[in-house]
Order: sequence, then structure tokens, then C-alpha cells
Amino acid sequence: MDWLQFVLAPQVINGLSIGVAVVLMALGLTIIFGLLDVINMAHGEFYALGAFVAVALIGMGLSFWLALLVTPVLLALVGYLSERTLVQRVFHSKDRHTLTLLLTFGLGVVMEDALKIVFGANPLRLEAPIQGATEMLGLFFPHYRLFVMLFGGAVIAAVWLLVFRTPLGAMVRAAAFDRHMTASLGVPVHKVYAATFAFGVALAALAGVLLAPMYSVFPTMGRDFVFIAFSVVIIGGMGSIKGAVLAGLVLTQVQSISSLWISPVWSDPLLFGIMVLVLVWRPQGLFGRLGHA
Amino acid sequence: MSTDVLLQTRNLGVRFGALQAVDDVSFEARRGAITAVIGPNGAGKSTLFNLISGSLRPLTGQVMLDGQDITGQPPQRLLAAGLARSFQITNLFFELPVRENLRLAAQFVEPGPWWRGLRHVRTSRSAMQRVDELIAQFELAADADELAGFLSHGQQRRLEIAMALASRPRLLLLDEPTQGMSHADTEDTAQLIRSLVQDGLSILIVEHDVDLVMKLSDHVVVMHQGAKLSQGHPDVVRADPAVQAAYFGQEVQHA
Amino acid sequence: MLESALARVAPASATGSRPNDALRWIAAVFFVSALAFGLIAWAVGDVFFLRLATEALIYGGLALSVDLLLGRTGLLPLGQALFFGLGAYVSALVLKHWDASFWLALGVAIGASALAGLLGGLIAIRSKGVYFALISFGLAQVVSKVIYNTRELGASDGLIGVPAAQVGGGLTSAVPLGFFLLVLTLIFIVWALLSLLMDTPFGRQLAAVRGNEQRLAFIGVDPWRVKLAVFVLAAMIAGASGALYPMLRGFVSPELMFFQVSGNAVINVIVGGTGTLIGPLLGSSLLTGLRSVVGSWTEHHHIAIGLLFVAVVIMAPRGLVGGLAPWLQARLDRRGAKDRI
Repeated sequence: MDWLQFVLAPQVINGLSIGVAVVLMALGLTIIFGLLDVINMAHGEFYALGAFVAVALIGMGLSFWLALLVTPVLLALVGYLSERTLVQRVFHSKDRHTLTLLLTFGLGVVMEDALKIVFGANPLRLEAPIQGATEMLGLFFPHYRLFVMLFGGAVIAAVWLLVFRTPLGAMVRAAAFDRHMTASLGVPVHKVYAATFAFGVALAALAGVLLAPMYSVFPTMGRDFVFIAFSVVIIGGMGSIKGAVLAGLVLTQVQSISSLWISPVWSDPLLFGIMVLVLVWRPQGLFGRLGHA
Repeated sequence: MSTDVLLQTRNLGVRFGALQAVDDVSFEARRGAITAVIGPNGAGKSTLFNLISGSLRPLTGQVMLDGQDITGQPPQRLLAAGLARSFQITNLFFELPVRENLRLAAQFVEPGPWWRGLRHVRTSRSAMQRVDELIAQFELAADADELAGFLSHGQQRRLEIAMALASRPRLLLLDEPTQGMSHADTEDTAQLIRSLVQDGLSILIVEHDVDLVMKLSDHVVVMHQGAKLSQGHPDVVRADPAVQAAYFGQEVQHA
Repeated sequence: MLESALARVAPASATGSRPNDALRWIAAVFFVSALAFGLIAWAVGDVFFLRLATEALIYGGLALSVDLLLGRTGLLPLGQALFFGLGAYVSALVLKHWDASFWLALGVAIGASALAGLLGGLIAIRSKGVYFALISFGLAQVVSKVIYNTRELGASDGLIGVPAAQVGGGLTSAVPLGFFLLVLTLIFIVWALLSLLMDTPFGRQLAAVRGNEQRLAFIGVDPWRVKLAVFVLAAMIAGASGALYPMLRGFVSPELMFFQVSGNAVINVIVGGTGTLIGPLLGSSLLTGLRSVVGSWTEHHHIAIGLLFVAVVIMAPRGLVGGLAPWLQARLDRRGAKDRI
């Protein structure tokens, strides 16, 4: 019982709070892929940029809560512009899968170095806006992690509703299914793409802001985190929202709980191993559609 | 099995979800003959082809080639057994020249162990010879160095067939070879198919063009909603009321 | 209409001839210039640039391995540094603990890379396109992390104190000009063999995989085998290049396996000219030099290279040689009829 309370539970809670952030990031990735057919190799850098912008805003005097709301909006703007000016340019070529991958990869390189230039290579720390913990049902819930779980969970639920229950979501899903048809129905497909890309990176930025007080903020933080996000998206199935949510929550729990027994070094290899096994069994991921990617 | 029969399917079947795309289909294709598979849209002809040619694994049933069980074998093994196919949707190496397309396909006839693949292509005499033969036979000499993607539709369809033929198969599967062709091109293709059979090849052809099929084939198999509806000599099939109902009950097929 | 980065050097005319002659000319110019550069640097007593040029060639080898996969077979590897770093570590271990022999270190490194390539290939080859890229990325990520945390291999500091490799006849890797010429010769041999390979049935099958993998099985070739073979070959080339690194610099570190190295290799290939083989060598040389020169002014050479790369991807996806070769070929063709296979 003690073990459950003091060893396992904190891991589960930790896993959930990270899991929520991973799901947000994976959602962003999978939505961008599902609609635009674009692998955003810079997704990790948008995540990092979100954290850095929040740090900067807070440094300028804004409260954490304000920064939490403002940062995704700002990053959405950056995403929108990136899509319109860069991604669109290679969108119509024959090998656009490779080209967009390379382009976003290059964008990531530029962004990472830009962060280094502006903020320096040293890690920054951000104070958690709410300290302390509450005891409920014999378990300790750090307040900030609780917030992350609830807020993140709410955002995930909102995204789900948006995509599956609103006319806007229906339009977006239609555009994903058949671009030309949707365009001929008068939908401004280019704008939809840019907006979707913006939305996807905004989710990544939000994850960055949420996790910033929990870990330090440094220019290459995106690189490691995006590996987890990509693994989740691949396992869940590229383009599948359900897959991103399920795989994201489950895999972070697996990582979190397994850290009780194996050294953190093996955490990524474990995830990678799971990914390879899943691909062997179902090459399109758990919920992916065959013929994609 | 009589030595007359080259290909035999027994109770072949596959389903996609709830749809039984091919339902317990058994038929024979004879050596040296042109056997055609026809049927209205959605009859399962292409799926049947895919089952026979290794693109799809059947759920039930068997495929026998000259007495040998080839059920579920991958396409490259089928080629070694003497079965080659062309595609309904032109499936060439569009970025490569015609000659290279043919050379890739003809490389199969080049004898030798695997390290043969590491000598200059110039030294593959049998393959190069085959390429020249095919270029002549399919009248592609004028555009032999053109990229396959730049050919006219008719020429591409011819190249499709030529590539399937390159490995000197015993049984050639032609998937709607005259798809999208003009009337003149269709006639030419029919001539070509006849001449191939005269050379000793056996052909299994899926076609939409019922008139062409009736003129060309020795034996016709009619499919409808995944199952075999009728089979026999073209005249017999044409007169079969069940076949007429299947066709005229839906859209009338034109040449 | 933008042309794709994967378009092999498309000919100026509509015919299918590849600009082979132009590529050979460019290669001749490259190798002769490299030779001249080395001799001049030696004559003026310089060591730094000679070493830098050797390093550029070593990365050029890695770039060749990436081009073999990307430009020729249509597979984008984002983790090729795995084999590069592996070759480097194996080489360093052999030199330090077994025998400071150039040939032994190189041989063992190639063998190890072949094995690793086989294992990695079995995992990665079943996937296409993006999945392949991400699995390749993941493999490198995972292995580099493990090495980073393995104390026996020097953990984050890596292995230092690697002795100079004995080549024979008094030549060791500590001799700037001698080692440069040796590396140049090796790279030349690899380039030449790869170029010849492209005109063999196997090499042509690679182009077929890139163009229309599905059709290959129907002309009797198992695409899986072709892809595995080329993956192993690329791993061996990357490993061989990596093996030269500790001979040059005297140390190895986990950074050699990091994404930065894989990413730089891809950038070198794209900027140089995907699919041209000589382009990646050229791109590697230019960009390694650029990174060093710009790096001496500012720490932020990555952003400069990154911006250059983005510009190339958008505006000139065929890269330097990719753009130059067709033009050159057209001029060469005008001088006379050329045989085409």
C-alpha cells in the first residue's frame, strides 16, 4: 500500500502531466499531417519556441497565466506565416513529401540556432506559478501538475470537439479527404492549410509553455521531446486523433512507470522498440489509414 | 488436370470487410488460348486478377499453374513460374526512358548468379537482345530513348504489355489493355494479342470492351458481383440470358 | 512548376540521356582541384587547412552514403550518422586497444557497419517514405543516447588519446599531406565504384525502386532485397568514413552520432546535388569549409547554413551540380553524338 502511495502514484501523476503535454504535441503533429500531408520536422522547435516566448513574456512582466494564453496565439501567427511563405512554395511539386520534410527540417535548424542566438545556450528556469501539493485519497497531487493535467485535458477535449463536432471541423476533415473537391466547393483551401498548420504548432507551443516550469528551458529541448511525439504519432497512426490521444497517454505512462525499474537511458530505446514492434504488426499504426505516408 | 489446362483457379475467394469481392470462383484457362474475364462494373474482375497475380492473398481457394500450386505467392516468384501481368492503370517507370523500362524487365532473362547484377549492363547480351526484339515488335523504335512518361497513351499501353512480355512468360495476364485507347489503337492491340498467341503464349485478359472480347477470345468467363456467372465459348456466353440480364440490367456496355 | 529535389539530373532535352559526361567532367575538376589544393597547402607549410580538407572528404564519404539512399533509391535517411559514429568508435577502439593499424581499423569498422546495417536495415527497410526517415532518425537517437551514457565508452566525453594509424611504408595518419592524399584516394575509389555501380543491373534497380517500387516485383525483382542491400552498402560506406575520423582527430565522441551530423549530411547532399554522387562530395567540401570559416567568426554558422539550405530547397532543389550538369551536358552533346545505353 505504501509503495502504491509513495512510489507508483507519483509516477502515474507525473506520467499523466507529461502525457497531456505529449498528447498536445502529438495532436499538433498528427493534425498537420492528416490535413496537409506534411511532416513538420520543426515541431520540436515550435515547442521550444513556445517555452522561450513564455519565459520572455514573463520576464517582461506578464503573469504566467497571461503568457499561457498569449504564447500559443503568437506562435500560431509564426506558424501561419511559415506555412504561407515557405511550405506553400514546395507544396505543389511532385516529390512534395520529401521536400516538405526537408524544408521543415531546415526550418527547425534555423529556429534552433536562432533560439541559441537570442537566448543563449544555457538552460533557463521558470518558476512554477502554483506551488505546493494537496493530499487527496492518500495521494499527493502537486498543484501545478494537477493544473497541467486539467488544463491540458480540457484543451484536448476541446480539440476533439472542434474536429469532430463542429462545422469547421467537418470542413477541415473534408479538405483532408479530398483537396480538389473541397476547393471547388468554395472553401479557401490555402487558408485552411495555413490555419491548420498554425493550429498544430500552437498546440506544440502550448505544450512547451505547460512543461516549462517543470523542466528547464534550453534551445535543443525540442529535439528530444519531438522524438517522443513522433513515436506517439507513428504508433497511434499518422493522421489519427484518437491514436495520438491514446498512444500519448499510454506510452507516457509506460515510460513513467518503467523508470521505476530501468535506468532513464533505456527509456527512449524502450519507446523505440515499442514503435518498431507496432509497425511490424500494423504498418499504419494502431488507428492509421493505410495508404498514408 | 489435363495438359491442356495451364491455369486453374479453385474456389478462389477474398473479402474486404463485409464485401465478398471474389466469391468461390473456379475456372480454367487453356494453353495457347485467349481466355477473357468480363463482367459489369464492380464484378470483381480486377480483384480476381490481383488474386492470381500475387498482388492480393486469397482468403479461400487455390491457384494452380500447370499443376503447380502458386496460391498466394509473391509476384517475383510467379514470374519465375512463368506468369506475368500488365496493369490497368499504366504502371511504368515514367522517369526512365523506354529502353531502360524494357531493359529492367528483360534483365530477368539474363542467365547467371546474383553477382551478375554487378557487371555493366552492356554485358547483359540476352537482355539487350530482348529489348531490341520488343522495341521492334511493339513499334516503339521512334521513341526508344524518350522518357516513358512522355509517350502517348497508346504507346504507354503498348509498353505496358511489352514489359509484361519481356520475361518470356507462359501465361500473360492483361488487365484492360485497351483502356482509354482509340478505336484504331484498339484494333492494333487486338492484332498484337492474336499474334502473341500464335507464338505459343497463353493469355488471360480482363476487358471492358465486350465486342473486342467476343471477337478475340476462345473462352469467356463472366463475373457478376464477385461470383462466376457463366463461362464458355463467346457465342454461348453472348446468348446466355443470365449474362444479358447482368449487363442490361445495369448500364449497356459499348465498344 | 517547382522540380522535386529527387529529380535526377533531368536532361535539358526530353530524351532519357543522363548527363554522365558532364558529371565525369565535374568530378575530374573536383578531384584535380582537391589534389592541387593539398599540394599547395603542403608547399606553403599549412597544416590546418590540410586537416580541414581531410575532414571535409571524410564527411564527403558520409554524404555519398546518404546520396546512395536518398538520391538513388529514394529513401531519406535521417540517422546515417549512426553508422558514421559507429565506424568512428570501432576504429578508435581498434587503434587504442588492439593495433594501431590503419587497415585493421578500417576493416573492422567496415565489418561492424555491415552488421549494424543489416540489423538496422531489417528494422527500417520494411517502412517507406516518412516512416523510414523517422525510424532511421529514431535508431540513431536511441543508439547515440545509449553510448552517451556508457561509461566504458567514455560517456559524454568519448574516447581520447587515439594513436595515429600506421598505414605502411612510414606513412601514418599523423602526416598531414600523406593522410590527406590517402583519404582523397579512398574517396575517389568509393566514388568511382559507386558511379560504375549505377550502370549495373543492381544500380539500375535502385533507380527503379525510386521510380516505381511496386512494379519491381512484377519484373522479377524483390524490392525488399534491393533496399536491404543498398542500406547495408550505405552503412558500410558511412562506417568506413567514420573510421577515418579518429585517425584524423585523435578522439571520438557521441556527438558524431547526433542528429546534427545526419542533418548536415542531408544538407550537404541537397545543396551539392541529390543523385549526382559528385554533388554531395562537392557540397560536403564547400559546406564543411563554410562551417569552419563562418564558425571562426561567429558561433552561429548553423543558422547561416540552415537558411542557405531552406533557400536551396525552395528555389534550387536540384542543387549545385544538379543544376550545372544538364547545362554542361547539353554543351558537350553539341560537340558530337553520344552513345546512350
